[in-house]
Amino acid sequence: MQSVGPGTLASERRWAVWPGRMSIRSRLRWAGFFFVLPALLHLLIFKFYPLLEAFRLSFYRYDLMSPPVFTGLANYQALWDNPLFHQSFWVSVKYMLGVSVPEWFLALGLALLLNRAMPGRSVIRLAYFFPIAMSQIVVAMVWKFMYHPHGLVNTLLEVFGVGRINWLSTEETALASLIAIGIWRGIPLFGVIYLAGLQSIPKDYYEAAMMDGAGPVRRFIHITIPLLLPTILFVMVISLLSAVKVFLNPLVMTGGGPNGTTKVLPYYIYQTGFAYFRMGEAAAASMVLFVLVFVLTLILLRLLRQGDVK
Amino acid sequence: MSKKQLIRWGGWSITLLTILGIGVTLLPYFWMVSSSLKTGQEVFELPIRWIPRDLQWVNFPAALSRGSFGIYFANSGIVSVLVTAANVLFCSLAGYGLAKFRFPLRDFCFRTILCTLMLPLEIVLVPTFLVVQQLGMVNSLTGIIVPLAVDAFGIFLMRQYIRDLPDSLIEAARLDGCSEFGIFWRIILPNCKPALGALALLSFRDSWDQFLWPFIIASNDALKTFPLGLAQMEGIDSTAYHEIMALAVIGMIPMAILFLFFQRAFVRGIALSGLKE
Amino acid sequence: MKRHLVARLSIGLAAALLGASALAQPITWWEHSNPPHNNYSKELIADWNAKNPKTPVQYEFFAMTPYFQKLTAALSTRSAADMFTVIDTLMPSYTTKNTLAPIHPEWLGYKNLDDMKTHYLPGSLDGYIYQGKLYGVPMIAAVFSLYINRKHFIEAGLDPDKDYPRTWDDIGRIGKKLVKMDGSKMTREAFDFAMHSSTWTMWYFNSIIRQYGGEVLDASGKKCTANSEAGVNAMKVRAMFVQEKISDPTVSFATNALPADDLPKGQVSMFITHAGSVAQFGPEVMKDLKVVPYPQVNPQKPVSPVYGFALAVNPQIPEAKQKLVHDLIKFVVKDPKGWYEKTAYPYPASNFLTLPGIEDARKTRYLDVFMQDIRGGRFVQRSPQILEINEAIHRAMERVVLKGENPKASLDQGCKEIDTALAQP
Repeated sequence: MQSVGPGTLASERRWAVWPGRMSIRSRLRWAGFFFVLPALLHLLIFKFYPLLEAFRLSFYRYDLMSPPVFTGLANYQALWDNPLFHQSFWVSVKYMLGVSVPEWFLALGLALLLNRAMPGRSVIRLAYFFPIAMSQIVVAMVWKFMYHPHGLVNTLLEVFGVGRINWLSTEETALASLIAIGIWRGIPLFGVIYLAGLQSIPKDYYEAAMMDGAGPVRRFIHITIPLLLPTILFVMVISLLSAVKVFLNPLVMTGGGPNGTTKVLPYYIYQTGFAYFRMGEAAAASMVLFVLVFVLTLILLRLLRQGDVK
Repeated sequence: MSKKQLIRWGGWSITLLTILGIGVTLLPYFWMVSSSLKTGQEVFELPIRWIPRDLQWVNFPAALSRGSFGIYFANSGIVSVLVTAANVLFCSLAGYGLAKFRFPLRDFCFRTILCTLMLPLEIVLVPTFLVVQQLGMVNSLTGIIVPLAVDAFGIFLMRQYIRDLPDSLIEAARLDGCSEFGIFWRIILPNCKPALGALALLSFRDSWDQFLWPFIIASNDALKTFPLGLAQMEGIDSTAYHEIMALAVIGMIPMAILFLFFQRAFVRGIALSGLKE
Repeated sequence: MKRHLVARLSIGLAAALLGASALAQPITWWEHSNPPHNNYSKELIADWNAKNPKTPVQYEFFAMTPYFQKLTAALSTRSAADMFTVIDTLMPSYTTKNTLAPIHPEWLGYKNLDDMKTHYLPGSLDGYIYQGKLYGVPMIAAVFSLYINRKHFIEAGLDPDKDYPRTWDDIGRIGKKLVKMDGSKMTREAFDFAMHSSTWTMWYFNSIIRQYGGEVLDASGKKCTANSEAGVNAMKVRAMFVQEKISDPTVSFATNALPADDLPKGQVSMFITHAGSVAQFGPEVMKDLKVVPYPQVNPQKPVSPVYGFALAVNPQIPEAKQKLVHDLIKFVVKDPKGWYEKTAYPYPASNFLTLPGIEDARKTRYLDVFMQDIRGGRFVQRSPQILEINEAIHRAMERVVLKGENPKASLDQGCKEIDTALAQP
């Protein structure tokens, strides 16, 4: 009987030497497949197939009520020629990056903060993570009021001597205002994820480093960051993907305005399909969105090679 | 500045930031609760009154009477519980499969699942509706629940977490003759409590929050969920914000309870999972 | 003995129920959400169900904004209700795609369409006719009029019954006396337009450009003419009030979720909204308000915006059922006075003002004013791309009002966007 070595790979190798054990190896592999199967089937039926359908529709003219008519690349051409689409595209890019990137850092900061032993830690944690519980419609309504020219934000600003700003109705500030809400809502969520990641780093590494005389900054750079890398990557990817889908806030709070400065792509797509009955064009726009996100995700995964296919 | 002074300054600024942060985080809640106890006129009064003149408790029964909110809440409860349960189960299964096994199609599965995260529902609304229609699930709670039952985000969350679990646990169980599913059920799941807690919380919140999908699927009043009821409160000309806020407060209660409940398990789970390897 | 009786009764009851449900052919009816309207609909349905137990009505209403998207999704997947309420501006979107069944005036008891028209106010069916056929039966004729706050007028030394504004210039002039400032903050607007919806923006703009003799689209409906001189003048009217400092420039979509919130609260002295607001504000608020006709450029040639809601039939249901739906429609619209009393929207019947019992409303609910505006009223121009057109005009308006952009430049841009939309096949 061979001993059990660390890591499946090693033991697999050992077992491979014994022909009689091949069945165990394949059993292992296929067990994995069967574990994934239910979720995979569900996603194939309810998400992937509709995605393919949307791809197919992007080459048709379809107004939801008459049969679709094949038009080749006409929809993509129409999008390219439409300045409103270009505007929406860049609004989405700005929003995505504007929300995700600060989230990466601020959420980590929050997690580091809450990881320390301090009095009232559980209460503080509770307070910080509470926004996770708030439903998005309510968030939209509450913040809409807070951004009112005579609302909370401006009232506080007046206390500090800064003048009043018409946050959601001024072209320069509308998008930034929505981004702030996105960050506010995302930090608790990613903070929780970072915190779980931080907690799973064995304490001994820190203890060993401290005995070696390494200060907090060096411990952070050489221990925390490398070991946290998979979590960091996870947060980066997920935060981007969540930010891309947002459309309730612009819908409810600014109507995509003023002058289209908050019309993110999902809103544009929804409007083109359901209000203007140009479903084919909406599908084409959603393919563009999909490619954008796909490329961004690939870049991230490449840049931080680690932790993906291992 | 000496190092000690730097540290002291650092400590103070962190404390200050913490307090400010809490303020920013909780202020919207405060406004929500405060508005739910004001009259319609008072809600938009400026300067903002934090404590209403008279506590309008009547807002709550008044708001609830505007629609069959009892039914809406029940439906939301059913949908959220079932979706959460399904999500937690299937995502942990899939996460485990992706994390700890190597099989020929693994990369394909991973990439496919990743793709499904990249499109919001609004885009694939009509094709998804057609699928559901062909399965005969339109205008039913099943039709609301089933498409939401698995979210790729959960798969990645669980995969992320399970990957950090030591393989030795699994090997030992295998040597003991444990079945694969038994390993999953008895070894993996109990060690995933923090992740499971987080996933349950988020699944519940997202399914509770869903507006567009239930709206398209459900046509009967008896099938509507809470967000649909809330949206209906918006009249053509005027909106009873005080009543909407009252409903929002009520709507937060399940989430708040769940949050508190899972928070404890989360903390306990973290304490237990002192992985010493 | 007793047990037998109970058993027989329960079996009898079960059989009756089973029998009734086996034969029951429910009719489904969808509407948008509007509390007074929905309540009245429910009353009508209870009445119908009592009289027609074999064909009960299943009624559902949905949040206004997504309602039409839901309807579209349902029509495209053949799962829409048998009967549904539509707004007139969206009629072309549906009729050009054959998603509404033609209405048969004969099934409603008329000889033909022309006969039916005589029973309605002249022109009130036009919005629902496409290629000579009728596709909706209106039960509401909504019009926009001007509501003024009596108290504010009296405070400012004006007589609300004599000095109310008749023209846009009047509003500017009178407005200066009504606006209230606290330093640089406007605490009370004298007048404002609603900014919350591109549909409302179009209702305003469409009427004003016509008051100046222009149109948003040319006769073919394929070219935008909103940037003509009439259009620029109309846009200038819109911008004027902000420039003259009687409207608050910070009021916009983001600040005013719904328009008529400010009027009942006394935060604006003059406001344009529709007839249904009378019911929605309630008698308490209406005591302080007065309704006067829609402001004009030239009171001799009045134009005001009208719109309406109509009942339409699903073309995918069998003809026998369509006939049944027509019976239901006839039932629903049989009492114009009832509609008016419950919803405060006038009903487009030709004899509406002479119905017994209406005189009271003419005195106390400004019905005469609304009817006057309806007579001068015109529906928004028909176009399947109406929503895109609305959006383009709305954005142009936002640029002018919020950013101070030049109206001609803004409308040129808007027309470019509209022409692109209209060029779609």
